[in-house]
Amino acid sequence: MADVTLSLGTLVTEIDSLVGSKVARVGTDGDSIDAILPTVVAEPTRASSVGQILGWASGRGVSVSVRGGGTKSGWGGPSGPIDVLLSTRAMNRVEVHRYSDLTATVQAGATLSKTNAVLAEHRQWLPLDPHNDEQATIGGIVATNDSGPRRHRHGAPRDLIIGMTLARVDGVIAKSGGIVVKNVAGYDLARLLTGSFGCLGVILSATFKLAPVAEASRTVLVELPKVDVCARYTADLIAHASTPTALEVSVPQGTMLVRFESVETVVISEATRAAALAEKAGATATVLVGDDELEAWRTHQAQVFVEGHTIVKLTVMPSELVSTLTWLEEEVRVRRLDYGLIGRVGLGVCYLRLQGAIAEQVSLILALRDRLPVGRGSAVIRQSNLELKKLIDTWGPIGDGFRIMRAVKQQFDPTGMLNPSHGPGGL
Amino acid sequence: MDQLFLLELEDIVGVDGVVRDQAELITYESDGLVSHRSRPGVAVLPETAEQVQGVVRLCHRSGVPFVARGQGTGLSAGALPHPKGVLIVMTRMNRVLDIDLANRRITVEPGVMNLDVTRRVSGDGYYYAPDPSSQSICSIGGNFAENSGGAHCLKYGFTVHHVLGAEAVLPDGEIVHLGGDALDSPGLDLLGVLVGSEGTLAVVTKVTLGLLRCPESVRTLLAAFDSTDSAGNAVSDIISAGIIPAAIEMMDRTTIRAAEAAVHPGFPDAEAVLIVELDGSETEVAALFEQIETVCSQNKGWGVQVARDEEQRGRIWMGRKAAFAAMGRITPSYYVQDGVIPRSTLPEVLRRIRELEQDSGLTIGNVFHAGDGNLHPLVCYDDGVEGQAELAERVASEILSYCLDVGGSLTGEHGIGADKACHMPKMFSENDLATMQLVRTAFDPGQLCNPDKLFPTPRLCGEVPGPYRPHPVEAAGLAERL
Ligand SMILES: Cc1cc2nc3c(=O)[nH]c(=O)nc-3n(C[C@H](O)[C@H](O)[C@H](O)COP(=O)(O)OP(=O)(O)OC[C@H]3O[C@@H](n4cnc5c(N)ncnc54)[C@H](O)[C@@H]3O)c2cc1C
Repeated sequence: MADVTLSLGTLVTEIDSLVGSKVARVGTDGDSIDAILPTVVAEPTRASSVGQILGWASGRGVSVSVRGGGTKSGWGGPSGPIDVLLSTRAMNRVEVHRYSDLTATVQAGATLSKTNAVLAEHRQWLPLDPHNDEQATIGGIVATNDSGPRRHRHGAPRDLIIGMTLARVDGVIAKSGGIVVKNVAGYDLARLLTGSFGCLGVILSATFKLAPVAEASRTVLVELPKVDVCARYTADLIAHASTPTALEVSVPQGTMLVRFESVETVVISEATRAAALAEKAGATATVLVGDDELEAWRTHQAQVFVEGHTIVKLTVMPSELVSTLTWLEEEVRVRRLDYGLIGRVGLGVCYLRLQGAIAEQVSLILALRDRLPVGRGSAVIRQSNLELKKLIDTWGPIGDGFRIMRAVKQQFDPTGMLNPSHGPGGL
Repeated sequence: MDQLFLLELEDIVGVDGVVRDQAELITYESDGLVSHRSRPGVAVLPETAEQVQGVVRLCHRSGVPFVARGQGTGLSAGALPHPKGVLIVMTRMNRVLDIDLANRRITVEPGVMNLDVTRRVSGDGYYYAPDPSSQSICSIGGNFAENSGGAHCLKYGFTVHHVLGAEAVLPDGEIVHLGGDALDSPGLDLLGVLVGSEGTLAVVTKVTLGLLRCPESVRTLLAAFDSTDSAGNAVSDIISAGIIPAAIEMMDRTTIRAAEAAVHPGFPDAEAVLIVELDGSETEVAALFEQIETVCSQNKGWGVQVARDEEQRGRIWMGRKAAFAAMGRITPSYYVQDGVIPRSTLPEVLRRIRELEQDSGLTIGNVFHAGDGNLHPLVCYDDGVEGQAELAERVASEILSYCLDVGGSLTGEHGIGADKACHMPKMFSENDLATMQLVRTAFDPGQLCNPDKLFPTPRLCGEVPGPYRPHPVEAAGLAERL
C-alpha cells in the first residue's frame, strides 16, 4: 500500500493504545490468507474499537482485511499484502432476540451454529444452512451472501437481513434499516454490504427476520435412473404446487433430496406425495427421517465441500440445469477431472467441486463461462489453490454494471485500503 | 424552459412525446399525496430505453433535474415534479417483453401495471406476489422504486424479493444491467439498493420479475373483535405460535364503516376485524387453519367468516383493498401515515393512537398490514375548518414518533419521498445519512436525479445539515475526494 515503513512492534502498540486495551498481536503463519502473512492481527471486542482501528489505518495508510471464522478467507480474488487483519471473533453475541417479533440482532463474529443455539431457546432460527455453520460467522456469511439448500424456501442472507451496523474505512459507524421486518426508509445499505466481500465497510452486527423451527421434517431421497428425469420430476412437483424447503440434485451420484418441514401430519403427507411422484417419473424414492435424514444431508454436502479441492459456485437458468449437468459429465471426462456437484434445482444455483490437473480445471471453468452469457449464469471460484487463482479470474465477466460498482467502491473506500482487491470483480 | 432545450427534447421523443402546455401539465402536479404540488417545467413520454437515455443525457449535459413518474399513485410525493425540471412519464413503456414460465420469470417495461403481470400468467397457474392495494392502478416501475409491499408480503416478501434483474439509465445517461435472469450475478448487489431508492439513483427501463406457482390451497378467515387490543393480541399470538400466514390484515371501526359504505363487503359491525389468509398445501393449510381459529377464539374473536369460495374471498379482499379509497365516504380529507412497529408492540401503539384521537378530537382510522406491524393510520380532517389540516399533520407526525419510540420505521412501503424527508433525522443519525449519500454520490454526483427527495435538505427542512466531516485520508492529504 502506501509507502509507510511498518514496524511490527509499533503497529501493535499503536493499535493497543488507540483502543485502550490489548487487542493486537503480530501475525503468525496460521493467520495467512492465500499464503500472505498479515503483519498484525487485531481482535477488538467493541464496535467502537473497530471504528477507531479503521480510522487510524486510513490516516496511517495501512491496509485492513477482515476475517470472521476464516472459513471463507480464501474466497474472492487473491489478496494483496495485508497490513492489519481485523478479526471479528471477539464480537460474538446474539445482541437481542426479539422472539415475539421473530427478529434478532447478532454481532458479526458470532458463529451461525452458536446463533441458532441461542435462538432455539424460543424455537426459532436464522434460516440459513450454508456449509460449515460451526465455524462460519454471521459477518462472513453476510459478506459472501452464503446460503445452503434451504435457500429454496427461506432465501439467502440478502432476503433475510433487515438492518445492519457497519464501520466505514474512515472510522465512522453507521446503521441502515432497523429492527422491523418491513421498512423502506432510506437506501438499503444492509443489502449493499451483503455479498460485498467486505470491500465497502466492516459489518459489525446485523438484524434478521427469523423463522420458527418446524415441528417435523422428512426428506425424500430420490435415485434417478438418468439425470434428465430430474427435470421431469421437478416439473411434476411444481405442477402439484408441492412446497419443499429444499430441492437438491447431486451428480455424479444421480440423486435428489426433497425436504419438507412443517407439522408432523403435513410433512408425512407431502413426503409421501413427493415419493409417489418420483416413482411415477421412473425413479426410486425413500422417505428419510431422524438420523438417516441428517446423514443423507451430510453425505450430500460432503460431495462438494472437500478441503483442498477447487469449488466453483455455478448459477444457471433453472431450465438449463439438467443440460448443464449432461454437458459437464462429458467435459470432466475428457479432461480426466474428478468432480462432484450439488445444485438447488428450483433456483439454478450449484456448487461444483473439481480435482485434477490445474490446466484442465482452468479450461473447464472457461468453457463453462463461455456457455453463460452475462446475466444468464455465472461460474465464480469459491475455493481453490493459489496456482489456479493466478491463472484465472475469480469472478468471470460482470457486465456493464461494473462501472457503477467501481464508483460505489471509490466512494466507500477511496484508497482501496479495505480488503484490497478482494471484492467482486477485484474491487 | 429554454426553447432550444425543448426542441432537443422533441428531437428525442417526438413532438407528441413532449407535454409543455401548462394546462396539460396540471395532470402531473402531484402523485397520490395531493397535499404536495408542483408543476414540472416540461413532461416527456418516452417509448423506448434509448429515448429515456437521450432525455437523461440531455439533462445531464444541461444540468437540468429530472424526475421519473410511473402512474402517480405514490403516497409520499416521490414523483413530485421539479418546477425547473423534466418529468419523465413512463406510462408509454408498457410492453410485456418476455414470459419464461419454465424459469418462472417475466420481463416487462416499467409502465406495465402490477396487476397485469399476474393477469398475464394466472391462466398458467402462476402469479406475481407483491400485491399493493393499488395494484390495478400502479406501475411496476413505481413498485420497483418504492419497494412496494402488499397484504401478502408477510409470507412472500416485498418487491425486492421478487426482482431478479433490471436495465437502468444512470444519471449520466449510461445504460447498465444489474442482476439478471439467473440468480447471484457476480458483483455488488446494486440491484438490491436500486429497488427502494425512490427514483433517486436511476431511471429503470426494464425489469425481470420472479413468478410464483399458485398455491394448492388458500383459506381466508375474517374475525371480529371488541377492541383493537384483542385483535392486536391475536396477531402477536399467531406469530408467536410459529405460524406465518400469507396475510394478516386489520381494520378498525372507522375503516370498516368506510369500506361498508363504499363496496359493501358484509363486514361485521365491530371495533376491529382481522383478515387472516393461509396458503400452501391442502394438508398444511387445514392443519394451521385450526390453530388460527383457536387463537382468534382465545382472544375473544367472534363472527368468524371463512370464505367458502373464490367469490367470498374476493369480497373480503375487496373490502380490505378498497378501504383507503373508501375513506372519502366518511371524511372530506385524510392524512395517511405508513409507520412500522415491532408487531409485539401493536396493542401498546394502538392504545396510544386512540388516546391521541381523544385528545386531538380528530378521527383516526386504521387499516393495516398487522402481520408486518405496518400501520396505516388515517387522520381525518376537514379542509373547511380552519387549522384542521395543520392539526392533522401534527397528529400524523406524532404517530410517527410513537413508531420510532418503539424501535420502528417511518415508512413500511410508501417511501420517504418529499413528504417525510425532513423526518429522516429522527430515525437516522447524520452519519447514517452521510453513508447513504455515498451511494447517491456514486450514482449521481450532480444530484439531478429526483432531487429533494428522501434526504433532508436545508431547502426542504429549513435547517442546515451537520458540518461536513472530511475523510481522514483526505485530511491527511493522501487522496482527493471525487
Ligand atoms: C389507494 C392506494 C393504495 C395503495 N396501497 C399500497 C399498498 O398496499 N402497498 C404499497 O406499497 N403501496 C401502496 N400505495 C402506494 C403506491 O401505489 C405505490 O407506491 C406504487 O408503487 C407507486 O407506483 P406508481 O406507478 O404510481 O409510481 P409513482 O407514484 O408514479 O412514482 C413512485 C416513485 O417511483 C419513481 N419511479 C416511477 N417509475 C420509475 C422508473 N421507471 N424508474 C425509476 N423511478 C421510477 C418515481 O420517481 C417516484 O419516486 C397505494 C396508493 C394508493 C393511491
